[in-house]
Amino acid sequence: MSLNPYANLVRARTYRTLLFLAAAVPVGALALGVLIAGWTAGPLLAITPLVVPVLLAFRMAVGLVARTDAGLARGLLGVDPRVSVNSGGRGFWGRGKAVLADPAFWKQQAYLLLRMTLGFATAVGELALIGGSVFWILEPILYRWTDQNIGSWHIDTLGRAFVVFPGGLLGLAVALALVRPLGRLWAWLAEALLDETPSRAADARRAQAGRRRALIAHAGVAAAAGAVVVAVWAATGAGYFWPEWVLLPFALTLGSHAWVELVAAQPNVLARLRLSRAPAIHAGLSAALVGALTGVWAVTSRGYFWPEWPALVLGLGVAAHAVIRLAPRAEARLRRLGLSVAFGIHAGVWASIFVFETLVWALTSRGHFWPGWALLGSVVVLAIHVLVERGAGRERLARRVETLETSRAGAVEEQDAERRRIERDLHDGAQARLVALGMSLGMAEQKFRTDPEGARRLLAEARTGVAEALGELRDLARGVYPPVLSDRGLGAALDSLADRSPLETTVDVELDERPAPQVEAAAYFVAAEALANAAKHSGARRVSISVGRAAGGLTVEVTDDGRGGADPAGSGLAGLRRRVEALDGNLSVTSPPGGPTTVRAELPCES
Amino acid sequence: MRIVIAEDLALLRDGLERLLRDNGFDVVAAVGDADALVHAVLRERPDLAIVDIRLPPSFRDEGLRAALELRTTAPETAVLIVSQYVEHTYATELLAQAGGGGVGYLLKDRIMDVDDFVDAVRRVASGGTALDPEVVSQLLGRGGREPLAGLTPREREVLALMAEGRSNAGIAEALVLTVGAVEKHVAGIFQKLRLPPSESDHRRVLAVLAYLGGG
Repeated sequence: MSLNPYANLVRARTYRTLLFLAAAVPVGALALGVLIAGWTAGPLLAITPLVVPVLLAFRMAVGLVARTDAGLARGLLGVDPRVSVNSGGRGFWGRGKAVLADPAFWKQQAYLLLRMTLGFATAVGELALIGGSVFWILEPILYRWTDQNIGSWHIDTLGRAFVVFPGGLLGLAVALALVRPLGRLWAWLAEALLDETPSRAADARRAQAGRRRALIAHAGVAAAAGAVVVAVWAATGAGYFWPEWVLLPFALTLGSHAWVELVAAQPNVLARLRLSRAPAIHAGLSAALVGALTGVWAVTSRGYFWPEWPALVLGLGVAAHAVIRLAPRAEARLRRLGLSVAFGIHAGVWASIFVFETLVWALTSRGHFWPGWALLGSVVVLAIHVLVERGAGRERLARRVETLETSRAGAVEEQDAERRRIERDLHDGAQARLVALGMSLGMAEQKFRTDPEGARRLLAEARTGVAEALGELRDLARGVYPPVLSDRGLGAALDSLADRSPLETTVDVELDERPAPQVEAAAYFVAAEALANAAKHSGARRVSISVGRAAGGLTVEVTDDGRGGADPAGSGLAGLRRRVEALDGNLSVTSPPGGPTTVRAELPCES
Repeated sequence: MRIVIAEDLALLRDGLERLLRDNGFDVVAAVGDADALVHAVLRERPDLAIVDIRLPPSFRDEGLRAALELRTTAPETAVLIVSQYVEHTYATELLAQAGGGGVGYLLKDRIMDVDDFVDAVRRVASGGTALDPEVVSQLLGRGGREPLAGLTPREREVLALMAEGRSNAGIAEALVLTVGAVEKHVAGIFQKLRLPPSESDHRRVLAVLAYLGGG
């Protein structure tokens, strides 16, 4: 994790989190309406039977608002709280009682209360801080046209503008550093207060069928309500066609709903058009909104075409969104030009802004072409971006080369040491035994006629020698590469290792698929060496070996209950470290005096 | 007794063939890879196939896979796996597939003790079991099994030989005991480990291995 808060500027997650925070405003407003209505109507009708339908409606409204916000949390914060909108219960009174007894109902209200108070405050605070900071950062450019003052101190010269510039940078840093903790807080709140896990098992197909039914119901209700309104209009003299004000929002909501449903239910269509879901939904909803506003314009005065302004702003949002989504896809192409995805996003957003400004210019006075200045500024900023990126890239590359040089030298050294060890074992073991065997056989041949009993003894000796030589060669071969590792994978190989160890050894391997052979081998040898060390030096009785996946890599951890105090620089551990580092992994040994000793290796496995 | 051999190293294949012929077996085919083994067994329907675990083309466990396949396509042919190394994982797979017996898994080293090896070949071909002492000691050597600690050293020896697939007479011969003494030890072991008594030697192996966590 980077400690540089500005790094958050190029993370999509930052913008998603900000969007979620900002959504507190509309969601909070909605929640306020629902809660006030429910809390007023409920107690007022408490002495009449009418309270039950009101309670049920209130329950559903609270659930739906909470579910809307849960949907936002799913898309923007990456948590997936399942929200119930129904409390169950049987019979008229039973259902009403079930609502009051439903903890989910009360938790959802608590969440909505938090969202419209705390959430509203954080949204306003955070966005104001960002806006103010950006304003101060831009002050050296803007001071000519704005009249800012802090107390009686006017920012009206370039020098003074630069005085507030660092304040702006600091404010932005604080605001960016706050984004993640705030996102986590809300993710946690949403999960804690909204999630009703039992329904998690509901399968996707049923959910899809349910959504389609919901859309059909929506269309039916909208059509019926529209027909009623038009009928009322016709029955009351058919004057000014006021139902248009009802039909327009109906059309907007139904169109938006249908679009979201289409996009969600037809991923194939999107894939064929090479579109991602989120920008497609965004574009569709923006288009629907512009359509509705155009409708409003059409049924009102039809004078100046004002919907062009919201259209422009919404278009800018869609363009920026598309750029952020599309840049990672063009990664290969950008990299060929020596540029990063972050630069692609940056340049794309600037280009969208320039197009936006040009259109604004074209729609307004069309006098002095002021967007040119913005273009110039953006070119400068982009050039700086490229320079900084190149510099950082070169530095990273240099560091990487250094690491690789060290680890390669280590790997070569380790290989040579390993070869020497094998040579020594062959020389002192199997080779020597075969020489002795040859001698026994020679002598047996000599004695064959004169001393058959002695010859038989020598032959029996020779057979024992062969058995011992075979055993040694087998151990040596297993040490070079255990056959069961390539045949059956890490789990079986570690089991076999545990069987051969004199210590009580437990093995726990949790892998969904087999890692690359070199990663498997490194993991195996880490465990083998650590186990051998535990048996030789630690005085341990029990050892546990666990292998699992973590953060895109494989981890091996070997813990013994021995006396500790292992030397991480000892030859065996140092050899292991070189082997692990040659794979870009890292090895850590913790062995306080008195134990326990833990050897842990993290091995990256890129797919 | 008709035997098919699958071993890729010509030196070992010829040596094994000669050894078996000298001991009165009829080697009907000696092949060098797994496909040829399957063909030869399906053609000859021998009593026993002796198969090296590691065969061309990838030199991994083709031999074992072919043997497992033969257990279903030619169940009347017993299978004896020989290898330069033993792993209880393979033994477990083999025994799980074996069902009614007629399987063996031995280190190639055991061939040197010709009498013992010939005995194991006969045992497997006639529906018994032969498990390498090394596999058995791997299983016995695992820590953390309380009841095993309650066995006397003699009972542990008997248990190991039982797991190898030997009959009571075979155990008596190996340990220089009377058959009656062996039967007493066996009964003692089954009682201490709370295993159900079983009639055939093969079932006995399975029960013991299941107890040891290998079957």
